[in-house]
Amino acid sequence: MSRGTQNLLLLLVGLSTAVMLVKGTYLNYVKPALFPWLIAASAVLIVLGVAAIVRDLRRSGDADPDTGHDHHRPWLVWLLLIPIAMVAFVVPPPLGADGASAQPAVSAPQRRAFPPLPPGDAPTVSLPEVVMRAAADSTNSLDGRTITLTGFSLHRPDGGVDLGRVVIVCCAADAQLARAHLTGPAAAVAAGYPEDTWLRIRGQVVPGSAHPDDGFIPTFAVTDVTRIDKPANTYAY
Amino acid sequence: VTAAPTEHKRRVGSLEALLVALMALAISAGTVSTFVANRSDLSTAATVFCGVFVQALPFLVLGVIVSGLIAAFVTAERLARWLPRNPALAVAVAGIGGAALPGCECGSVPVARRLFGAGSSGAAALTFMLSAPAINPVVLVATAVAFPGQPAMVLARCLASLATAVVMGLLWSRFGRAEWVTRKLPDPPADGASRWTVFSEAARHDFLQAAAYLVVGAAAAAALHVLVPAWVFEHLAGQLLLGVITMALLAFVLALCSEADAFVAASLTMLPLIPRLVFLVVGPAIDVKLAAMQAGMFGRRFALRFGTATFVVATVVATLVGLAVL
Repeated sequence: MSRGTQNLLLLLVGLSTAVMLVKGTYLNYVKPALFPWLIAASAVLIVLGVAAIVRDLRRSGDADPDTGHDHHRPWLVWLLLIPIAMVAFVVPPPLGADGASAQPAVSAPQRRAFPPLPPGDAPTVSLPEVVMRAAADSTNSLDGRTITLTGFSLHRPDGGVDLGRVVIVCCAADAQLARAHLTGPAAAVAAGYPEDTWLRIRGQVVPGSAHPDDGFIPTFAVTDVTRIDKPANTYAY
Repeated sequence: VTAAPTEHKRRVGSLEALLVALMALAISAGTVSTFVANRSDLSTAATVFCGVFVQALPFLVLGVIVSGLIAAFVTAERLARWLPRNPALAVAVAGIGGAALPGCECGSVPVARRLFGAGSSGAAALTFMLSAPAINPVVLVATAVAFPGQPAMVLARCLASLATAVVMGLLWSRFGRAEWVTRKLPDPPADGASRWTVFSEAARHDFLQAAAYLVVGAAAAAALHVLVPAWVFEHLAGQLLLGVITMALLAFVLALCSEADAFVAASLTMLPLIPRLVFLVVGPAIDVKLAAMQAGMFGRRFALRFGTATFVVATVVATLVGLAVL
């Protein structure tokens, strides 16, 4: 592979990162917090690529720019086409329930005091936070509180239905599935939707429903189910 | 720019090949995209691949900036003057110095390759490579958050990772051979080149090398992610030795970012703490993507020996530290 092609690939990695940032598809793979770092990385790669191209154009008259360079297995640099293709052209979708590892999203339930829930009638709480609070909150802040959750429907083999949410810590490689069993008057409505339908539900966590035999999956008594559009960012953090 | 005009007539140049490949990609993007999205395993693997690569990219860029700066400003003689003469002391200083480079493990491989010189600075560079991703403040804070109420876990991780890095540095200064390092850095630009030229050429070279191998590693991690975990977890409960070995292998194949692995380890509640500590110590030191990147920056003979030794040392040290501290 020539040096000029390598420079172009370097530039293309930077450009495809920029495309991913502009289109927002980076949220399929990593957390929003990485955004500024990815901008910086993309800018550095574009600058390095352009600088190398300009330098070669300037000196193309007097010498062969390939001299003195490492030609040991240069074909491997072709592999950079894979991330360019993935990130800018193929754009794999965010992970769904079957891509996330099935371990409970809650860690060893060392019980501790959580801060109080937001005030108001039925505040929106993220599903992983509810799972965590149900398993480990020493103040039992969920008991008796009506809250609002969003997630997708997950049908269980026993005929019941769960609300699920894919949680990522750093990137898609560490994705885990947070889930809550649904029960109560409106659970049948949720069960009537096909798999992977996005729902906003209101209700209360059944006190004491998160126990170790079941991987600390809490049970949620639903009073209200609304079907919603799939959000742009499907992950919870 | 690329080759002599006569060569263009004889065969298709790489630039033309690249343009054809890009056109093929642009035309087929929609079809391939639908194909991938409709196959659950394939789309999971593709997303995990992108996750590993995109997550590593900023850290890799940070790493090649640092390695470019080293090429431009730090000569081997100057480095030797900074480090203590005593090789053991130099290794210890490099291990603790690793705490100063916050980031994931991908960035530290090119940095270590630049620092890698003859004699004691070689061992010190390798120690730095192993300690930087494991004991920097960001990783330790993440570990503390993932294991609330268990500060011993943070201490054990820091001690075990530092000890692994120092032991590997000492092993290298005793047994390591320079001829295992078959990949050479490119010749520095001619005398009189500006610092900017030296910096940007070094950063360019290191990025292309490391990123190509990062692709190999991310692809392996994505494939294993789809193929392995389903059956692995079922055979673990309760047995220390089996748990330790399995978690060490799992850390190798999953190739998680060192800032995220604590949360994954914390979620494996069915395991005792020691195998989970092994997971946290092995992962940042050696995993499938790091092995590929080391092969790219140092050479295959080096990666085979150093990677295997790192895996064994990290597993044993983490188990011993775990038995003592946890």
